[in-house]
Amino acid sequence: MTLLELEDIEKAYENEEVLHGVSLGMEQGDVEVLVGPSGAGKSTLLRCVNRLTEIDAGTIRLAGESIHDLDSNDLRQRVGMVFQDFNLFAHRTARGNVTLGLEEVLGMDHDEAVERAEAHLDQVGLAEQADSYPAELSGGQQQRVGIARALAMDPELMLFDEPTSSLDPELIGDVLAVMNDLAAEGMTMLCVTHEMGFARSAADTLTMLDGGRIVERGPPERLFENPQHERTESFLGQFTDFE
Amino acid sequence: MTDGNTTDDLADERASLVEQVPERRRIAIAIVGAVFWTWLLARWAYHNALLDVIATALGFPDLIRSEVPVLVRQGWIPGGPFRAVADAVAGVANALGPADVLLEWLVWLADLAAFAATIAPKLADGAFITVYLTVVSLLLGLVIAVPLAVARVYGGRVLSTLSLGYTELIRGTPLLAQLFFLWYALQLGSVARAIGFTGEPPIPQAAAMVAVVGFTINSAAYQAEYIRSALQSIDAGQLTAARAVGLDMRGTIRHVVLPQGLRLAIPGWTNEFVYLIKYSSLAAFITVPELFRAAEGVGSDTFRYTKVYVIVGLFYLALVLTTALAMGRFEAAVSIPGLDSSGNQE
Ligand SMILES: Nc1ncnc2c1ncn2[C@@H]1O[C@H](COP(=O)(O)OP(=O)(O)OP(=O)(O)O)[C@@H](O)[C@H]1O
Ligand SMILES: [Mg+2]
Repeated sequence: MTLLELEDIEKAYENEEVLHGVSLGMEQGDVEVLVGPSGAGKSTLLRCVNRLTEIDAGTIRLAGESIHDLDSNDLRQRVGMVFQDFNLFAHRTARGNVTLGLEEVLGMDHDEAVERAEAHLDQVGLAEQADSYPAELSGGQQQRVGIARALAMDPELMLFDEPTSSLDPELIGDVLAVMNDLAAEGMTMLCVTHEMGFARSAADTLTMLDGGRIVERGPPERLFENPQHERTESFLGQFTDFE
Repeated sequence: MTDGNTTDDLADERASLVEQVPERRRIAIAIVGAVFWTWLLARWAYHNALLDVIATALGFPDLIRSEVPVLVRQGWIPGGPFRAVADAVAGVANALGPADVLLEWLVWLADLAAFAATIAPKLADGAFITVYLTVVSLLLGLVIAVPLAVARVYGGRVLSTLSLGYTELIRGTPLLAQLFFLWYALQLGSVARAIGFTGEPPIPQAAAMVAVVGFTINSAAYQAEYIRSALQSIDAGQLTAARAVGLDMRGTIRHVVLPQGLRLAIPGWTNEFVYLIKYSSLAAFITVPELFRAAEGVGSDTFRYTKVYVIVGLFYLALVLTTALAMGRFEAAVSIPGLDSSGNQE
């Protein structure tokens, strides 16, 4: 089943055009990695999917329904998002970060929300840290709380915007491990990340975005081994050199 | 302690009185403050009409003496010993001949203490009204300030302009002018009396109600500014995250913005608290018998103005320092683990 469909998405900020007719489709269970240079419009594209940003033209469909026919808060329950800077609620414990949406958005009662939050914290390896506040956690732990917070809402689709870019190298592995598990469990994931190891091992599709246009899109091996565009080759080249 | 990135000028002003005070002095303030407040609360209780009724009903008709008029209230600390010291030192000073400055100071101090012991009960009564005006106005002001600040930051064009207009109007005009406007121009005193603020205990005096209205309007504007700057220092990423889990704007403000913003506003709020204790003395100009007016009354009865104002100054100082100390404690008690008071990682 096609879970997410983007058709000719256009987006401009003030006078600056950021997305020029982007189209792509994701089947349920697909893992798609989105790469591209800074300013390519990757974050903008993700934010359009859960309507943190409104598109100017085009159509976005989630499970066949146009997202503009949905209430934006309902849409956001169905689409989880993980941020580069974690964006945890500073005044709430790890558990409290997860329960807020469960109680206030899903209307779950407190005990049920706590139980579910703890299950999801356990899933990301943070059962022990449930009572810690964000400022008491490492970046890698904070990001895993961020993932648990999104997962607990039981989303159909997860959006990741450079989830490891703010992390010290030694902490990246824990977060990628959680993402790999999720991919293996069949979660549909649209990820902006420059972790090419993850792209190779977990992604079904790799998409190269530049200047608000999809330059090339296909299975990761093909883009790595046999890119059709010089732009893709040079961009991916900077990463493969390191490996 | 402050990091300029997350605070603006107003917030920097927060640098709280107490935080700069070293631990040992803080303990000293706490001890002196505890003694002062114990005495003050006991004085209030001793002349409280409601407690009098209760005590009498329980069979202790003389325990509470609410019937004694303020002007003839007697102190518990005898002035006599201080008087005696003053006289003795004065005798020594006279015997030594030409004025010895140090001894003269001692005489003055002993005399001040003796005088303080006699007038303190009258000032305690005024201090009650001062504390009442301050606390009630501050809390009512907070109730108005929170929506004002939220409107200012998240309210859109119209609401934020209205909020800005209010705060600028109030902060841009003198508090005394505002009080006079309510008292003389609007004649709010007669309105209050008509509603039933008769001044017969336990119903407060009409003038005190007008002062509460004035201070509430005024402190709401200042508190709104402190809260606004606190709200604006909350990282926008958290708001995005709240929206991304499906919270609407109301839910986001209530569950994410305010719990953090109000904590960050505590130092500024402490400043406003302290200002209000001092500025509540302006209520004297509309006949409210608060601490400052009580002192003026004693002054005009005794003509010992210098000593009266020194003593009333010490009263204000005790109120201000204990308030700042208590607010510091409160701030620490509600602080978010791992973060300092300006919201930065420790
Ligand atoms: N809220 C905004 N208002 C105005 N311009 C914006 C806004 N957000 C992004 N832009 C602009 O849109 C363009 C694309 O930004 P976007 O954040 O989507 O890029 P990106 O591919 O995610 O880049 P990066 O790798 O640096 O995160 C940039 O030129 C950026 O300056
Ligand atoms: Mg980005």
